[in-house]
Amino acid sequence: MTPPTTPDSAAQTVVDNALRACSAFGREDLMARLESTNAALAGDAAHVVVVGEFKQGKSSLVNALVAATICPVDDDIATAVPTFLREAPSPRAEVVYADDLDPEIPTAELVGERIDLNDLHQYVTEHRALDRNLDRTVRAVNIWLPRRILAGLTLVDTPGVGGLGSAHNTPTMGALPLADAVVFVTDASQELTRAELDFLHRAHDACDNLVVALTKTDLYPQWRKIRDLDEDHLRRAGLDVEILPISAPLRVRAVQGDDRELNQASGYPALVRFLADRVVKAAQRNAQRNAGVEVSAVCDQLASQFSSERSALADPERAQAIVDDLTETKVRTEALRSQAARWNQTLGDGIADLVADVEHDYRGRTRMLLKECDAAIDNSDPADTWSEFEPWLSERVSREVLENYRFLQDSAATLSALVAEHFQDASGEVLDQLAIHNPIPIMGSTTIDATVDTEKPSAAARGFTALRGSYMGVLMFTMIGSMVGVALGPVAIGIGVIMGRKTLREEKQRQVANRRVQAKNAVRKYTDEVTFHVNKDSRDTLRRVQRQLRDHYSARAEELHRSTTEALKAANLAAKQLESDRAKRIADIDAELARITSLRDMAQSLVVGSAK
Amino acid sequence: MSLLDETVALLDDARRIYAGSELADVIDDLGTRLAAPLRVAIAGKVKSGKSTLLNALVGEQLAPTDEGECTKIVTWYRDGHTYQVLLVPHEGEPRQVPFVREAGSVEVDLGDTAPGDIERLDITWPSQQLRDVTLIDTPGIGSLSTDISDRTWSFIRPDDDDTPADAVLYLMKHLHAGDLDFLATFHDTEVSQPNPVNAIGVLSRADEIGVGRLDALGSANRIAARYRRDPRVRRLVQTVVPVAGLLAESAATLTEDEYRALVVVADRTPKETEEALLSADRFVDTPEIALTSLERAHLLDRFGIFGVRLATMLIRREVVANARELSAELLERSGLDEVRELLRTLFLQRRDLLKSRSALFALDRLVGEHPVPGADALRSDIERVLAGAHGFAELRVLSSLRAGQVTARDEVVKEMERLLGCNGAAPARRLGLDDDASRAEIETTAKEALAAWRRRAENPLTQHDLQVAGQVIIRTLEGLLTDRT
Repeated sequence: MTPPTTPDSAAQTVVDNALRACSAFGREDLMARLESTNAALAGDAAHVVVVGEFKQGKSSLVNALVAATICPVDDDIATAVPTFLREAPSPRAEVVYADDLDPEIPTAELVGERIDLNDLHQYVTEHRALDRNLDRTVRAVNIWLPRRILAGLTLVDTPGVGGLGSAHNTPTMGALPLADAVVFVTDASQELTRAELDFLHRAHDACDNLVVALTKTDLYPQWRKIRDLDEDHLRRAGLDVEILPISAPLRVRAVQGDDRELNQASGYPALVRFLADRVVKAAQRNAQRNAGVEVSAVCDQLASQFSSERSALADPERAQAIVDDLTETKVRTEALRSQAARWNQTLGDGIADLVADVEHDYRGRTRMLLKECDAAIDNSDPADTWSEFEPWLSERVSREVLENYRFLQDSAATLSALVAEHFQDASGEVLDQLAIHNPIPIMGSTTIDATVDTEKPSAAARGFTALRGSYMGVLMFTMIGSMVGVALGPVAIGIGVIMGRKTLREEKQRQVANRRVQAKNAVRKYTDEVTFHVNKDSRDTLRRVQRQLRDHYSARAEELHRSTTEALKAANLAAKQLESDRAKRIADIDAELARITSLRDMAQSLVVGSAK
Repeated sequence: MSLLDETVALLDDARRIYAGSELADVIDDLGTRLAAPLRVAIAGKVKSGKSTLLNALVGEQLAPTDEGECTKIVTWYRDGHTYQVLLVPHEGEPRQVPFVREAGSVEVDLGDTAPGDIERLDITWPSQQLRDVTLIDTPGIGSLSTDISDRTWSFIRPDDDDTPADAVLYLMKHLHAGDLDFLATFHDTEVSQPNPVNAIGVLSRADEIGVGRLDALGSANRIAARYRRDPRVRRLVQTVVPVAGLLAESAATLTEDEYRALVVVADRTPKETEEALLSADRFVDTPEIALTSLERAHLLDRFGIFGVRLATMLIRREVVANARELSAELLERSGLDEVRELLRTLFLQRRDLLKSRSALFALDRLVGEHPVPGADALRSDIERVLAGAHGFAELRVLSSLRAGQVTARDEVVKEMERLLGCNGAAPARRLGLDDDASRAEIETTAKEALAAWRRRAENPLTQHDLQVAGQVIIRTLEGLLTDRT
């Protein structure tokens, strides 16, 4: 799939120039780094998650937005699996089954089974998703459409929160921290309920780029009043969220008849603007900033090898001293990339601790939950409550799992920042040392600060990015998959009809006690099974984080080492250079440095420009 | 001795035991309640259309309805000779409060009393429809104002008293998991299993399920049928029916003026009408329809987009020719007739059983909490009635069937439910005959069924549970044969 071209050509040009420079200086290692920047610039689509209660018109909203009947809309049956919509030159659809899932691959890149777009309703609605054959359970649907509105976006239609016997709402919650924007859907039939407001609160904590879509304004003459009431509720809840009233039927009619006025009345233009301004543009700015930071860093590396050479040429007396310094620096960079490097040890120890912490956290949660369950069972007769207890328990367990993953995510981000700091400390010294010999201060002290400042969050975010690919996968699919696989056993109800007089009460009490014991055992078995899966998932995730962080910083260390080696080589040569050649070589180097400096300035202006 | 008589006798015993204590009044209340009309609560999530349904059932706009959350206090509507509103506070004496009837509905002047201090409003309103049943309107559950919800919870699951309602119409918009928890609060713990005997599910706002399309009620019917089959719903409510509350309310109170306005709307071509009704805003802003925009807004307010679409279609196709016919047609299509029929067959026909049940549970709890000499004997008497009365045995079998503890082939389960009175408690209904079946027909059918059930109960291959249940069915059939009333 060729990535769609972004309008962001300034950033593209800078990265391309940097790539050419690296190629000219023979630094393939730096080129690899820039290639991945390039890919991020072109393809990292912003995720917009459409959420809301059951039957509020989420699928209709998505359909009206892309002006096509893609997500099935039915009066009764609701969407049961997430649907991902992206832009592509020609329409197609794929279904991802449970056994296609691989936690190593982000969901966007999972290859599913190609299906006909018209058969989609068979796959995404409730009935099919509850297939007994767990491996063939549909877990996600990917759709590509030739729609300009989808450029730079991935639109996610989610199963509704609530709904009969669905424990599906927790994964929706889980997807939110990774969403770039959230569209919360509620219809104009009534004001926001407490459940909806609770959900909005949690959603807002997870992703503050949030908008409320008030649907079905065509059906309810009083929608303005409902909107005002909702605004009131939001204000009182301290949520600064905009409400966009929209009507899908009006939008559909407007698109069919190419009726601009009707389109305005449908309210969709405001939603489209939200997506374009606050989602796509924001994502692009982010990518642009990252490109600027990466190119600046590459420029610093390139410059370092010339600057030492120039110092040696300009002042032959000091050439030996410079060579000695660089030799020492080389030793440092070697240490930086070795197993014994401080950052590497921090990472190794940190992950080992994290595995233990995360498991301990989950065990603690399970214990609290079991206490709660026991109390609930003791207060009721499982025969009465069991069928309600089961969905409740699975929902409670998935909430604990979610909290546990949040804990994992936070700790991993903290660890990632720590590793970044240790690496920065060590590599900063190296960079400083390289810079000492720089006669022309191409890196003014102010810009160095800027570099450090901008580099840091991106390095800290590294762990988050590592999670990002896996998080969607793990939470949305594997976790619920393993939970679907685990069933809470039935509680034998015993003799149902008791006729008789005297023993009615005693017999009933005896049976209730017996059922309670059975129920508690079933709950324990269930949580044990879930714990097993959760622990395995979190171990896998953390190991993946470790691998990605290690690869990232090893590559950085390798680059530094290479830069130092090159600089040392050049300085050695310079010391042996003849007097006559020196002036010419200095002029050449100055020209190269000037080119690198101007490239770096361009990169810095990207960073500054994106901050606006 | 009938069940009602036995209950009255037990209450008399209790009155003797607790004579002179503060409980005497409570016991007197239980006695009064036995003689009063059946109490049916209308409960459900916030904005599920409870007040609207209440108005439709009474056929008058009594309970105020509004786009926002409206009912904030538990309100009783009962028949009487005069119009009056009684405010019953949590503390202190009940007192009469002034009210006005504004724009149809009853607006009560609460004075300085905060809604939180009011236990209930008791509205007496002379009405044919309230003769046999006292309707109770409740605030919604899942309300944003926490204390409104709490008021409903404490009404339905009181901390120290039994539920004041004998039966409940539970309104659900499309069903949520939370609804199941709510229904569960109606389950008493005395008849050991959850009891689908005193609850009917109503799939409300049925017109909105199909986003106002003309076939919306068809969709609603399909959904209701699915819920009826869902075992989790079956063990909570006896059945589920759809109702388009707004349509029912407006149809029941349709005026000639409104009919004439609808005729004007129907006067245009189907295409034009469809265009105008594309959205509520457009309908109000279509000057081509020869009505003022206020009149158009009023129509929408009363009937909703769906109601206007349906009514104009009925007028244009000449299905109806006047206001009375339109009202009847809309009422039937709204599903309200079916709700009324269920109220009659499932609740009113066994009102004695339901009322005795409420009274006995309340009394049992009361006696259990206040042990005095003689209380133990009274308790075992209560238990004897609860365990022995055939009506309660039927309820237990029904619950066991619904909870899936007694299993049999589908058609056998269906037959058992019918014989136990799920389609109506009258003999003909139980036997699956027409309502006007003759006594001879009833006897023949009952005898055949009796023979079949005796064989089944004696067959050693029949499961034990089914045998026990069969014994109850046999007694039911014997009762049908001897019952001459």
